[in-house]
Amino acid sequence: MKIPFSFLPVQPDSAFPDRSEIKRPIVALHLTAGDRSVIFFAVVDSGADLCVFPASVAADLGIDIPNRSCSLFSGSNDANQLAYFEELQATILPMEAPNIDPNQEPLTFPLYAGFCDTLEHVGMGLLGQEGFFSRFKISFATMVAFAYLVMVAYDKPVRAYLRSKR
Amino acid sequence: MEPIDLTGVLKDAPRGEWLALSWARDRIVAHAPSLTAAKEAAQQLGELNPIMMKVPPLHALIL
Repeated sequence: MKIPFSFLPVQPDSAFPDRSEIKRPIVALHLTAGDRSVIFFAVVDSGADLCVFPASVAADLGIDIPNRSCSLFSGSNDANQLAYFEELQATILPMEAPNIDPNQEPLTFPLYAGFCDTLEHVGMGLLGQEGFFSRFKISFATMVAFAYLVMVAYDKPVRAYLRSKR
Repeated sequence: MEPIDLTGVLKDAPRGEWLALSWARDRIVAHAPSLTAAKEAAQQLGELNPIMMKVPPLHALIL
C-alpha cells in the first residue's frame, strides 16, 4: 500500500522563518471496538515506542478509561504520562490522491492501542514500533514531489520460514 | 506521488476543536468541542464516514 504524505499548516518562527507547512506520513485509520467505530488520522511515527491515541477516541469508541491496562511513558520532557490500553481492530484506509492506485486494498490488523489525555492537543494518533512497525515493512521516501511510504504485511509464514533457517 | 495538501482546508479551522473532514478531505463538514459531537454532527449532515482530527496549535510539532 502506498500512502502519500500530508501537508499541514504551521507557524514560522525564528528558527524556521520561511516555514508555513510541514509534511507528515498520515494514514486514515478505521478503528473498531465492539460495535462502535471511528475514522481517525494517525501519524506513522518510527520514533514512538507504542501506538497511542487521544483519550477522546476511547470515549467515542465506548472504551472506559482509566482501566487496569496502564503504562507510563514520556515525551520530550521527563514528565510521566499514563496511557490506558485496549485491544482494537484497525484498518488502514487507502486515501485517494493524484497518481495513486485507486484500487488498493485496505489493510486490517489487531491493534493494542493506548489512550491518554496528554495527546489531546496533538489531535492525531501515533503509530509506533510495537504493534505497527512490528507488523509491517515500511519504507519512507521523504522528498517533496515523491513523498510516500510503502507497507507490506510481514505475515507469520515468512517469520516461521526465517526461524526455520536459523 | 503528490502529497495531500491539508493546509487549505485547515487554514481557517477552529483551533482546539475536533474536526470532521469529508472523505475527500476537501472541507470541514462539522466541528465541535468533543470528538463525538463533531462526528455525529457530520453524520447528520450526510457525511457518514468523516475523518476525525483536531487542529493542533501552529507551534505543535511532534518530537
